[in-house]
Amino acid sequence: MTRNIMAIDLDSCIGCHSCAVACKQENNVGLGTFYNKVLTIGPTGTYPDLEMYYLPVACQHCDNPQCVEVCPTQASYKREDGIVMVDHSKCIGCQYCVMACPYGVRTYDESRDKGVIEKCTLCAHLVDAGEVPSCVRHCPGQARFFGDIDDPESDVSKLVASKTNHKLTDVGNHPAVVFCMDNCTWIGDE
Amino acid sequence: MSVQWPLLLFSVLLGTSSGMLAYLGVHEARGRRATASFLIAVLALVLLAAGGVASTFHLGHPERALHIMGNMGSGLSRELIGVGITAVVALAYAVCVRAKYDGAARALGICALVCGVVLPVIAGSSFMMASRPVWNSFTLPLLYLGSGLGLGFTLACVIACAKGADGDERAFAVKLAFAGVAAAVAVAIVWVIWVAVAPYADASRSVMRLAAGDMAVIFWLGAVVVGMAAPLALGFMALRAEAKRVVAYVGGAFACLLVGSVAVRVCMYALATSVQQLIY
Repeated sequence: MTRNIMAIDLDSCIGCHSCAVACKQENNVGLGTFYNKVLTIGPTGTYPDLEMYYLPVACQHCDNPQCVEVCPTQASYKREDGIVMVDHSKCIGCQYCVMACPYGVRTYDESRDKGVIEKCTLCAHLVDAGEVPSCVRHCPGQARFFGDIDDPESDVSKLVASKTNHKLTDVGNHPAVVFCMDNCTWIGDE
Repeated sequence: MSVQWPLLLFSVLLGTSSGMLAYLGVHEARGRRATASFLIAVLALVLLAAGGVASTFHLGHPERALHIMGNMGSGLSRELIGVGITAVVALAYAVCVRAKYDGAARALGICALVCGVVLPVIAGSSFMMASRPVWNSFTLPLLYLGSGLGLGFTLACVIACAKGADGDERAFAVKLAFAGVAAAVAVAIVWVIWVAVAPYADASRSVMRLAAGDMAVIFWLGAVVVGMAAPLALGFMALRAEAKRVVAYVGGAFACLLVGSVAVRVCMYALATSVQQLIY
């Protein structure tokens, strides 16, 4: 079965924010709202042994998404291929999913009087057309990979197999996005 | 997290309503109908409805509110069903009291007691989320329950005493009100202890924010002095007061508890930071 995930090679990420810009353009994301953001982690350590890396964050498309569990209308749902989506026609804007998400990557969009929840869709409209998410296509460092983690021949599987893997703090939601990094020390709980 | 005022109002009104219904149920279980039971039941219903209206201001699309029945695993869905059942029980109880259907009223009074205890627990448990460590504990539903019992018992006691409850009933009602106040204070303390020991410790949700940080004024003045010490003192004074002063003392305890309940909930939202708040 296909299980699409995002894997990000943090050793290759140059912190250019192209993914954030590409995401905003592709998804017409409102002013002050983000599906995807690049954080600077560090510097940590003591001079001259300093480390710093960039961490692109968005919806982690969890295996056990708490946002889906708490959604009273089933507007938040998980597709068979693993992408977590929000059906805006069902969303009542109660914001319980925003509270339940451990990562603060969902937002209540008032910028265009929508009154619904917005988040990364992994560009499902492109994926359904056989393409990759916009952030993957526009990453100049070729740090982002998208594909079927259950297919050992996919680019995602090859990257994940070749490097040390990290995930964001797991409080039972089991985040699916894999951060691959060998050159720096991962900061934070996993 | 910023204070979600519609949800805060909803929880306070729901708690008060539940406590009042529990008060009626305790009296029915004891075999003696409370004075002004019709008025108390109707007021409980009005408060519940007002809370429901307040909660819709939190929704981006209130016109789709009935879709809430879509996922029975969701705390919000359970909450809506609980509110619906409680409203029906309160209404039916009021009608039976008015029509003097004593047997039915007694049975519905017991149901009201169950609803009055279960509904705040459902409301509190809907906030138990692994992402928010200070909420993710049984102490939160307990907080909602204790606060509801305190608010509801004191308000119902004031109404019953003001409407001429006799000596025996007044004495029992004041004891019940004091027990409610004590419960509200105890569960608030238990929740603060949970804040101190909750996992994924972080300065943003540290108990030090309450003790000596930016929330200290609201916590010490609003939650502790006005919300705990004052109602306990007033409740204790009511236990020993003459009949004519009972309404003033218990009414004061209710007002103080109301302020304290709001203050505790403001702290509850302020400390409810996520384990990893990355974008927002």
